[in-house]
Amino acid sequence: MATVDIRGLVKRYGTHQVIQGVDLSIGDGEFVSLIGASGCGKSTLLRMIAGLEEISGGTITINGRVVNAVPPKSRDIAMVFQNYALYPHLTAAENMGFSLKLRNVPKPDIRKAVGDAADMLGLTPYLGRYPRQLSGGQRQRVAMGRAIVRNPSVFLFDEPLSNLDAKLRVQMRSEIKLLQRRLGTTSIYVTHDQIEAMTMSDRIVILNAGRVEQSGAPLDLYDTPANLFVATFIGSPAMNLIEAVAVRDEGRPVAVTQDGLRFGLDGVADIREAMPLTLGMRPGHFDLSREAAVGSMPFAIDVVEQTGAESYVSGTLGAHRMMIAHSGRFATAAGPAFVTLQPGGLHVFDRTTGRRLS
Amino acid sequence: MLRLVPSLLSRLGLLLAVALLIVWSLGPVYWSFVTSITPPLDLFGDTSFWPKHPTLQHYAKLFGATSLSQGNAVQSVWPQFSAALVNSIVTAAGATLVTVVVAAAGAYAFVRMKFPGRDICFYLVVATLAIPAYTVMIPLYRLMISLRLIDTYVGIVLIYVSAFLPLALWLMRSVYQAMPISLEEAAWLDGAGRVYTLVFIVLPLAAPGLIASAILTFLNAWGQFMVPLVFSPTLATKPLTVLLPEFVTRNYVDYGLMNAAGIFAIVPPVLIVLFLNRYLVSGLMAGATK
Repeated sequence: MATVDIRGLVKRYGTHQVIQGVDLSIGDGEFVSLIGASGCGKSTLLRMIAGLEEISGGTITINGRVVNAVPPKSRDIAMVFQNYALYPHLTAAENMGFSLKLRNVPKPDIRKAVGDAADMLGLTPYLGRYPRQLSGGQRQRVAMGRAIVRNPSVFLFDEPLSNLDAKLRVQMRSEIKLLQRRLGTTSIYVTHDQIEAMTMSDRIVILNAGRVEQSGAPLDLYDTPANLFVATFIGSPAMNLIEAVAVRDEGRPVAVTQDGLRFGLDGVADIREAMPLTLGMRPGHFDLSREAAVGSMPFAIDVVEQTGAESYVSGTLGAHRMMIAHSGRFATAAGPAFVTLQPGGLHVFDRTTGRRLS
Repeated sequence: MLRLVPSLLSRLGLLLAVALLIVWSLGPVYWSFVTSITPPLDLFGDTSFWPKHPTLQHYAKLFGATSLSQGNAVQSVWPQFSAALVNSIVTAAGATLVTVVVAAAGAYAFVRMKFPGRDICFYLVVATLAIPAYTVMIPLYRLMISLRLIDTYVGIVLIYVSAFLPLALWLMRSVYQAMPISLEEAAWLDGAGRVYTLVFIVLPLAAPGLIASAILTFLNAWGQFMVPLVFSPTLATKPLTVLLPEFVTRNYVDYGLMNAAGIFAIVPPVLIVLFLNRYLVSGLMAGATK
């Protein structure tokens, strides 16, 4: 059981700053995902927590103890690596018991700990095998088992599922989540896959260029993204963006696009006259129909992609290319149609700063 | 379309190339073997691919207590031969052991530790491969005299190690570079120290590289002539390579004896290479592909 507290963390390689002052508090038993595009510093941040990268500035505190100068082995953490990093010359059981053997735990105790973890992971029949004799998914479990056996205060996961095929990834996703809930161990999970982050985490931290863009519960990030980066990063298909300008129309604030589309801005704070805006609309927040209705806008469909449960409809709204996710099947192919934005479906951002206006 | 079955012509060409290679590499060995079982008088008469009167008299001369030479009973060369054989084994094995241990640890430092001038140090060490042995012979001789290491195992082994270490370091460095660092990181997180990780995680995985370094060093040391010619003046450390040419005396060149001894001297390295060949190949590949 542990808390992790990060204050003003900086990592520099020469003059190049990869982590630019990150502050982050992780509560006991919390499952936190670090997510961002490649090169955003998420892996570096994780490795700094593990003690595999030196800290250029700021502090990392684990369970109230500043660990900046503490070597990895004394931080009481376990890490699951992207490539699993199993010792190829040791069996699955020896891999899992390696840390206990180093701590001179008596052999029967090691056997019991490894056996329990193997039970939990469904690895019992494979304990005597070498990593090369295991499938990708089994190796992944052995890597997890090695972390579990140690009973550490923090689990670190570095994109542990990215080497698995899509089906196995979905399965392991929920297994890891269940396991973490059962063990109640504080976990930090690095991924570039937003679905993984959304489905597994108690909290998501979005990193961009070494800074935290936003941190919050998965659905909060989805519903109220703090800025344009988060808005486009979370959600699939990505949010539709349209540029507009704020004007007053009969005393009420309205956003007008260059091609004359109008969106009411009632209830949006900090709006100034002639302010450049970016409007965001999630593909799933439209109602699509063949007939015009009150408040609907004409939408010219080009392509309909059927996935079975959902249809992804692309087309043009005014002069803007848009993607609309229609739940269920949308039978007709290309042609004219109408869309209505659902209430609360409009996200308004200040185009100059990229910040959300609420 | 890719032609999977090679044409007759290209197959013939391949056969010819292989045959040439075999003759080139095994021809001298065969010649040596035939000479070693040919009676002395026949050696200067008609030469053939197989002697008309095969004899083991040269081997008898090598191993026997006494032997006949040109009709006279002479003392066997076995005492000298066996001493030189032991010297060859001790110096080659000693050099191999020290080189491999130092290369295993040193190359690891060159790959995984961070210290100022690391890469420059490494390239300087490897650059010594380009220095011809002749140019250092005289200074080295002076140095060995002042250290009183002439004609000692320690002296010879030290010279061999300094000569063969760069190649072994180079090889081991590429072996370590090809190994994913996450294995070592996992071991550190599991609680292992640097040395424990090196010995129990890294070295077992680098075994093919270590064996390749060992074979290369052993063969190099076993075949050395010039260094022991200068630094091993007596049978205290004189190896086979230096002893065998001494069978050439002022009046008589004992071809039969020389070649019998030569054939016998090939045995230890051949055994080692035959036994470890598969590791040699995969060890050399270890740095090239993942």
